Amino acid sequence: MTTFLDYLLGGLGSGAIIALMALSLVLIWRSTRVVNFAQVGQAMFTTFIALSIQTWTGSWFIALVGALAAGALLGVIIQYLVLRPVKRNDTSGAIIATFGVLIALQAAAGMIWPGGSQAFPQPFNNAGIEFAGRVWPISVYDFVVIGITALLVLGLTLLFTKTSLGLSMRAAAFNPEVAKLSGVRVSRVLTFGWALAGSVGAVAGVLVAPVSTISPNSFDILLVYAFTVAVIGGLDSLIGAISIGVFTGLVISLVSGYSDSGNAPIVALLLLALNLILKPEGVFSHHKARSV
Amino acid sequence: MLTITELSVNYGAVQALSNVSIEVPKGEVTAVIGANGAGKSTLMRALSGLVKPGSGTATVGGVTITGRKPEDIVRLGVALVPEGRSTIPELTVEENLRLGGLWRDKAARNATQVQVFDLFPVLAERRSMRADTLSGGERQQLAIGRALMSEPRVLLLDEPSLGLAPLIVTQILELVSRLATESNLAVLLVEQNAVTALRVATTGVVLNLGKVVMVGSGSEIASDEQLRNAYLGY
Ligand SMILES: Nc1ncnc2c1ncn2[C@@H]1O[C@H](COP(=O)(O)OP(=O)(O)O)[C@@H](O)[C@H]1O
Ligand SMILES: [Mg+2]
Repeated sequence: MTTFLDYLLGGLGSGAIIALMALSLVLIWRSTRVVNFAQVGQAMFTTFIALSIQTWTGSWFIALVGALAAGALLGVIIQYLVLRPVKRNDTSGAIIATFGVLIALQAAAGMIWPGGSQAFPQPFNNAGIEFAGRVWPISVYDFVVIGITALLVLGLTLLFTKTSLGLSMRAAAFNPEVAKLSGVRVSRVLTFGWALAGSVGAVAGVLVAPVSTISPNSFDILLVYAFTVAVIGGLDSLIGAISIGVFTGLVISLVSGYSDSGNAPIVALLLLALNLILKPEGVFSHHKARSV
Repeated sequence: MLTITELSVNYGAVQALSNVSIEVPKGEVTAVIGANGAGKSTLMRALSGLVKPGSGTATVGGVTITGRKPEDIVRLGVALVPEGRSTIPELTVEENLRLGGLWRDKAARNATQVQVFDLFPVLAERRSMRADTLSGGERQQLAIGRALMSEPRVLLLDEPSLGLAPLIVTQILELVSRLATESNLAVLLVEQNAVTALRVATTGVVLNLGKVVMVGSGSEIASDEQLRNAYLGY
């Protein structure tokens, strides 16, 4: 029993990171009906930028803020250069374009930061906390990760439910025509959505880097998990991305603990398949059905 | 107030509107009637900036609105209630209303919202419910309320009676007509249902295959049997 609880605790931090990455996919999907496969590429790229900032300034906090800004900027650039030119309503064209961006970003990162996998310095103690006479499978760093994720989720919730900009974003996502007729500058709002998603993904990248390593391809597995989570959560549900994200982190931790960490992606895909058979519209979606 | 001059719209090879000229004065309802496919919605979409006209102009109080974006046209005082379900079902009643005047300052917006709630008390009762829980008639009231939230000078209504029970249609149209007189609004009402529209309209415009075939007072058009048979099918 203690082992089971330990595995659960140990999965919280990675669950939070998966949730953030899924959240950035959901933010783009909600506003543009595009699954942005470049998202992890963007996160990888901005994490390299964060690493450079960290090396240069020695401050993890400045690196995090830098990644946040770089993520927003990169999101806007990609929307302007790649997605706007792809014709409206051409969803498959846009999705293929995001794959192209992913490959381009990975190639560019390989050239700018050569030398393969690099370690990201550990900003906080990542050893299990000693408390009440035992070592727990959760570290100070895990608490930082969970805290930052919770703050971001709270901030986004307030943005969407309490502000005019948030209402504009929801209206533009649900019905762009009525939004325009109501005076919402829809294309600006969409650009802001790309910036926001870019920042959220960038935070996920910076948070995961110290517990893995950073290379042009090191986040690919994160894409698999985040995509799975976003689909199971219903693609347009922020709550879905967060709760299924954390849940997946726990499942991965259990699977890795009881069997082998190599089995985790397979279990994630099994969950996805099960979801598509049992509830294809996603667990948290408002919509009745979805074609797969 | 709203002056439409020789407006034409093409969809590729299809000419949906050709040289349409209409004057819509303030304080009254002007009705555009015509069969399905006559070009009524195209006219409304061109006026609100959703489709670009091929040629011609529309001005509001002397300011040209054609060629501008919908977001800018609504700021110039022209609000469209589009055909069909034009509320956002996922948002609450109050959010739908707030959306209609989001760019305005909060005090002005809140003042208009009080007026809208006076006009449509049922919306005040349901303010925190999602729009998809409303009945058809309530939803149409919400759609009109959303448009009014921009405090328009010109209100464009595209077939508000569609799919509603006759009694509710009468209520809504009488309210629109009262709104025109009391708030000095220029209302352009598009209807397939001529009888209903001409009851509240001062002037009627008959549209057929994208062309204006007659302009006259509501009663003139209603009593012209030949015209009714030829273009309106009753
Ligand atoms: N987006 C479009 N693309 C091509 N043709 C269209 C489009 N919208 C309307 N039309 C055509 O333009 C004509 C006028 O349509 P519309 O303005 O919707 O008429 P109404 O509202 O009077 O029923 C019709 O022949 C219709 O088929
Ligand atoms: Mg129509």
